[in-house]
Amino acid sequence: MTAQDKEKRAINRLESMRPLRAKVNETYLKSVEAIQSGKPAVWGMLNFYYGDPILKAMDIEVVYPENYGAIAAAMGVAQQYLDRADAEGFPTHLCGYSLTTLGYASRMMKELGGEIPPEAPLGGMPKPLFLMSSAAICDARYKWFQALGRYMDAPVWTLEAPTPGVKEFFMEGYYDAMVTLGVKHLRDFVAFVETMVGRKMDWDRLDRITNLMIEVNRVWHEVNELRKVKPCPMHSRDFWSAMPAALFLAGDLEDSLRLYQDMYREVKARVDSGIGAVPEEKYRLVFAELPPWHSLAFFDKLAERGWSFVVESFGYRPPIPIDPDVMAVSDPLERITRFSLQFFAGYYEDARQQKVLGGAFAYPYLKYAREWKCDGAMLHPLISCRSASTHLPYVADMLMEKLKVPSLSIEGDIVDLRLFNTEDALARAEPFEETMDHYRMVRQQEGLDW
Amino acid sequence: MSDQSSGLSKAQEIYSNRSRRARELKAEGRKLIGYPCVYVPVEMLTALDLIPYRACGDIREPVTEADRALPGSFCAVMRSCLDCALKGKNDFLDGMVAIHSSDPQEKTARVWESYTDHPYFHFIDMPVTVRPEAVEYFTSQLDDFRKTLEAFAGRELSADRLKQAIDYHNRQRGLVRQLYDLTKTSPPAISGTEILQVVKAVMGLPVAEGNDLLTEVIGEARDRTDRPEKKPARLLLWGSTLDDADVMQVFEAKANVVMDDSCGGVRAYRADVKLTADPLEDLARYYLNEITCARTFRQASPGETSKAYTKDLQSRFGYLDDIIREWNINGAIMLLVRYCDPFAFEMPALKDYFESLGLPSTYIEYDYTTGALAPLRTRVEAFLETIA
Ligand code: SF4
Ligand code: SF4
Repeated sequence: MTAQDKEKRAINRLESMRPLRAKVNETYLKSVEAIQSGKPAVWGMLNFYYGDPILKAMDIEVVYPENYGAIAAAMGVAQQYLDRADAEGFPTHLCGYSLTTLGYASRMMKELGGEIPPEAPLGGMPKPLFLMSSAAICDARYKWFQALGRYMDAPVWTLEAPTPGVKEFFMEGYYDAMVTLGVKHLRDFVAFVETMVGRKMDWDRLDRITNLMIEVNRVWHEVNELRKVKPCPMHSRDFWSAMPAALFLAGDLEDSLRLYQDMYREVKARVDSGIGAVPEEKYRLVFAELPPWHSLAFFDKLAERGWSFVVESFGYRPPIPIDPDVMAVSDPLERITRFSLQFFAGYYEDARQQKVLGGAFAYPYLKYAREWKCDGAMLHPLISCRSASTHLPYVADMLMEKLKVPSLSIEGDIVDLRLFNTEDALARAEPFEETMDHYRMVRQQEGLDW
Repeated sequence: MSDQSSGLSKAQEIYSNRSRRARELKAEGRKLIGYPCVYVPVEMLTALDLIPYRACGDIREPVTEADRALPGSFCAVMRSCLDCALKGKNDFLDGMVAIHSSDPQEKTARVWESYTDHPYFHFIDMPVTVRPEAVEYFTSQLDDFRKTLEAFAGRELSADRLKQAIDYHNRQRGLVRQLYDLTKTSPPAISGTEILQVVKAVMGLPVAEGNDLLTEVIGEARDRTDRPEKKPARLLLWGSTLDDADVMQVFEAKANVVMDDSCGGVRAYRADVKLTADPLEDLARYYLNEITCARTFRQASPGETSKAYTKDLQSRFGYLDDIIREWNINGAIMLLVRYCDPFAFEMPALKDYFESLGLPSTYIEYDYTTGALAPLRTRVEAFLETIA
């Protein structure tokens, strides 16, 4: 039996994932070609939808240095950029992707006069027209782009991202104030982008793109809702393969919508005929944070033991759909704002009812464990991505305290890929089965229904 | 507290046992509200007769309880702050106000709120830019804060009371600046360590009491004959949090720290709140624009479509130029708390700025524990040799 056959058996991958993934890859290559032929590019931070539809409507190519950091790490060229950033005086405990980009920018601008470094994989990142940073999730996201000013004269726009407290969010007028901020802020952002590219916004186009963005994410959300069923019809590996099309709005959104709809149909068919992603599903798990990209076979090994990853990190999931009435709002900037706010706020009503004040970083995992009926959580703190790791001890504590769901924490990194050791991880995973069995009984004793 | 003590010795007593005075006030029936970051508008607490109490960490206390919820690779100050809170060291507090001034502040606030049971807890969201819509949003956040405070205090926060409180706190800012004026001489009339102790003491007192204490200290220091020893280096310390006299003494062993631009030093006092018709908006403007902390995204002009590095540096660090000249500073130390991202990203740029002014500088990292003191000393001494 070939290794490929074995993989097929371990995790029953979705057919519909393949064209979606191919589309993401093709979009990336097209973007690289466009940039190489002289089209201006913008460097962007993952911003949870505020800025992306605007750039898309303006037909601007966006490269995401966070993703590029991952590519540089995977291709083995990150170290020289990290060394450079260190030599330039950036503290080494900073986010590994930021240091990679700072080192890259230093090499490109100080050493090569603005030319893309020859060693840069996949076409490299050209000097940007401007930088779109974001205040969401971590301080690195805007401080890192500000720090790039040392190497390049590209202006920076920092997208605001309100982050409400759980109780406070329900105060009268609170939500409206967030919407007002978002709409005014995006209106000025549009004016900024127009000046930068010397073109006017096509508002009809933005309107269409906004609606498609929301619809793509709604369907993608529905796909994930189907995974609550036992056995789970779709594994996290398919989630990770498919997510960039919705998260980064990769490529033509009508194509994406069609492909996610196909995925919905395939997953629904599996649900209807009781087909699981893991043939003998014994344990259902939530996975927290980015997976160890270069050790994904690890999940196949666990699938052989009956482990199914049924739900994953809140930060990469589609927002819980907004009230359909909002679709009638005529201003696309307001629709974008309301949709983006959902990324955090979609969880708040539920969190308030459950009296969990931990905000959007911790609460979703309780919801996942409860609704997706998880036996355990696998936490993957990433040494050099602080924001991804910060909330994980709290998540583990809450999962145990509130739901008697145990967690297994296995360290990894976004730059030093060797840190995640598959053999060690597997050695720790096996005894964790006993823990999951034990807490299954505890939950039953405590009247929890899984 | 002994009745005899006054001025500096009183400040030092309060500094060494901040909770004692807090407990006395509590026993007198006063209510104390904790805040972990200088971005919380303390004026609003004062206006409602609530005492703002800066909740701090403790470099001597090994972090154990906070491990339950925060990883080791997390802002060392906030880990320590939360740890002290979870160990009941602030059990006299009637409430807490947290603010989204940095990511670790926000994350810690969530844990703090869910692991403690203060009768009052409020979280203020804070934008990162200084754009007009951000000021408007921040004002609305402060208005929400007003509402929950009023509900807790059981009375209204009138504009007049708020203006009066702003006035008191502005007076406090002026007094702290006077304290720093005393370091302009050589030798300085007061040491950096003493100032740190006074400021930390004041951050746990009712504003009027703090102002009286500051007035006493200023009077005493002006007339004192036992001035701190004159050292060859006159240092500017720049960093996020420096709130421990032992840490400060590492720098002052062989230098005079004449300016401490940290949130345990001049940062919360450098400028006044400018009063207009709407005091809430005045506060929003002040906290967003005037506190010069790395967490705020500043540009030469908001929304600029072209960028020049020199202008950019000026907009971020330009306020330091006058300070360096007026205080006759001959060396700068950028003191970084480990895992503090907003400040860590500034390092090379601020170094460039200091270089543009011809000021030698170095960057030193510490992890907010006593174990950090010895390596800190080595680094400081090495730097001082280079500027001697
Ligand atoms: S710390 Fe993590 S989330 Fe933040 S910029 Fe770095 S990789 Fe991204
Ligand atoms: S500014 Fe830095 S030291 Fe202060 S709380 Fe934030 S991360 Fe910690």
